[in-house]
Amino acid sequence: MIEIMELSKNFKKILAVDAINFHVAKGEIVGLVGENGAGKTTTLRMLATMLKPSSGTATVAGYDIVSQSSQVRGEIGILFGGEVGLYDRLTGRENIGYFAALNGMTSAETAASIDELIGLLDMEEYIDRRVGKFSRGMKQKVAIARSIVHQPSVMFFDEPTAGLDVSATRIVQDFILHCKQEEKAIIFSSHSMSEVEKLCDRLVIIHKGEIIEDGTVSQLKAKFGNDNLEDVFVQMVGDSNGN
Amino acid sequence: MGTKVIKLVFLKELKDIFRDRKTILMSLVIPLVIFPLLFYFMGSSMDRSAKQVEDNLTVTIVDSGNSSLSQYFGGVEEVKLVESSDIRADIRTGRILAAIEIPDTFDEDILAEIPTNLVIHYDNASQSSQMAYTVLSSMIEGYSKTVVAQRLLARDISDDILTPVVIDSRTTVAEEEGFGKLMLSMLLPLMLVIFSISGPMGVAVDLGAGEKERGTLEPLLTTQTGRLSLLWGKFFAITVMGLLSTISSLIGLLISMRQSGGLFQGSAVTLEPVTIVLIGLVTLLLTMFFGALELSISIYARSFKEAQTYISPLMLVSFIPTYATYLIDAKNIDTYFFHIPLANITCLLKEFLAGIYDLSHIAITFSWIIIYIIAAVLFARYMFSKEEVIFRT
Ligand SMILES: Nc1ncnc2c1ncn2[C@@H]1O[C@H](COP(=O)(O)OP(=O)(O)OP(=O)(O)O)[C@@H](O)[C@H]1O
Ligand SMILES: [Mg+2]
Repeated sequence: MIEIMELSKNFKKILAVDAINFHVAKGEIVGLVGENGAGKTTTLRMLATMLKPSSGTATVAGYDIVSQSSQVRGEIGILFGGEVGLYDRLTGRENIGYFAALNGMTSAETAASIDELIGLLDMEEYIDRRVGKFSRGMKQKVAIARSIVHQPSVMFFDEPTAGLDVSATRIVQDFILHCKQEEKAIIFSSHSMSEVEKLCDRLVIIHKGEIIEDGTVSQLKAKFGNDNLEDVFVQMVGDSNGN
Repeated sequence: MGTKVIKLVFLKELKDIFRDRKTILMSLVIPLVIFPLLFYFMGSSMDRSAKQVEDNLTVTIVDSGNSSLSQYFGGVEEVKLVESSDIRADIRTGRILAAIEIPDTFDEDILAEIPTNLVIHYDNASQSSQMAYTVLSSMIEGYSKTVVAQRLLARDISDDILTPVVIDSRTTVAEEEGFGKLMLSMLLPLMLVIFSISGPMGVAVDLGAGEKERGTLEPLLTTQTGRLSLLWGKFFAITVMGLLSTISSLIGLLISMRQSGGLFQGSAVTLEPVTIVLIGLVTLLLTMFFGALELSISIYARSFKEAQTYISPLMLVSFIPTYATYLIDAKNIDTYFFHIPLANITCLLKEFLAGIYDLSHIAITFSWIIIYIIAAVLFARYMFSKEEVIFRT
């Protein structure tokens, strides 16, 4: 579903992403793991066509991210951490509906899709109120619904649980697993090793823009002879710095 | 899909804006009431100082000879004579509005028919004192006329001899409209340019930098819609809001001109429909130009505050050619003025208000406005497509 080929990104002097290659299959959750500034967000932004690659390319659901960017965007859903990014003066339904329409859905399709999501995420009570007064958890649910309303086949999550409390984190994690059940291809970045271990089928370790490891959690643990993923991560990064 | 999406973005932005009380207050309500209030207070304070002088024309007359002139003033009801030991100080503090020094030889000089000198002291920095000076001068003028009339009578000559030519002035603009038209031709072009800058500003800041600050820009850019459709939708929403804001300012201006007791004293000005249409068109185009320019700046900024900081210099720079031409007379404006950005707008609006429709001036100015708009929209498009602008760190 996602095929990344020699993808690179330069910001003036900084080489943020350096000729990376990896792939993600249907129904697979791949964890993109690395230190601050490793290039995770930059990679995801390129895949989402917000940034143009300096060289290399990728295909998402069969479309090229450079030459078919609009089709790519029609196939992806994103949930980025930090600010949820909703319009405070619109209701929950209007927020979700706007993005559905921007993704080319008809109003009938939009209405049906939103109704289904309201049930799934349990939002009946407040969906027609303005988002401005929502709690963080309520906003998070609206943002989740917005990311998936157009039924994308690929999902990108960039530290989606950063700054969330336990129950909000649980909602997001359950949603990611729900996406997997729906056979979507998923890239998920996080700094929490326990979260990564819990959710991901496979890990791609990125360090200073380069991929230093690619394998399942158990493969990586076996390779480094350590059962603690955090220790394994520190060791990988340390080794890479040593070289 | 293109126009459908543009309409979608446009309608969403308008809905969003109309639900924002602060923006509605700033761009529609305040412009509506600001001029009626401002002109009302200006007018009533002018009225007040005129009334003050009328009711309370305090004057000191220094006249050791007790001349016929001081007796004449003694008989005038409006003048309140006040004793003063230090006239300059009393004028400064406002205890008296003016003082007249009459020479000892006043009556003798008048009788001998030689010119006599008289001194009026007043405070040329005070409006009331200046008015008092005007009133006193015209009283003395009146007194002089009676003296002249007596002299002529003594010689058996009719006083018609003093007015060989009688002027009967007929104005091209209805008399009662004159003042209003003059004010309008100075104020309106200036105001329209200012409105075109300030009208779209709040909304432009909200739809560019605001989108970044709230974190909505990134999800927006990952929808299937192209950036250009977003840009156009936003641009039209800004234009509409800018125009509504300008219209509400104009209605405010109109109300303030009709209002009696205000600065314009209810002087009614009527404009031809053609003039109104042309002025409206110029305003619309100018609003589009500034809207696009402000959107470009706003999308570059990282936050509301930054956007406002960047847009303020734009306003200041735009004021220079606008203020430089706002006193210019609508007749005989040199053609080169119509090539100076914004000065051309003010000049053309002035001509329209004066009823001058010079085809070459119109053609030159409109060509320039169209060029400005195209340049501003291209600039906005460039800004929307630049990663360095959208993801500025
Ligand atoms: N718009 C930009 N302009 C210039 N440099 C940038 C830009 N975005 C990212 N970078 C740089 O590129 C490198 C990779 O950044 P990126 O945000 O992709 O890292 P990350 O892995 O997401 O980090 P974090 O875990 O902190 O989110 C960093 O050195 C960063 O400073
Ligand atoms: Mg990041």
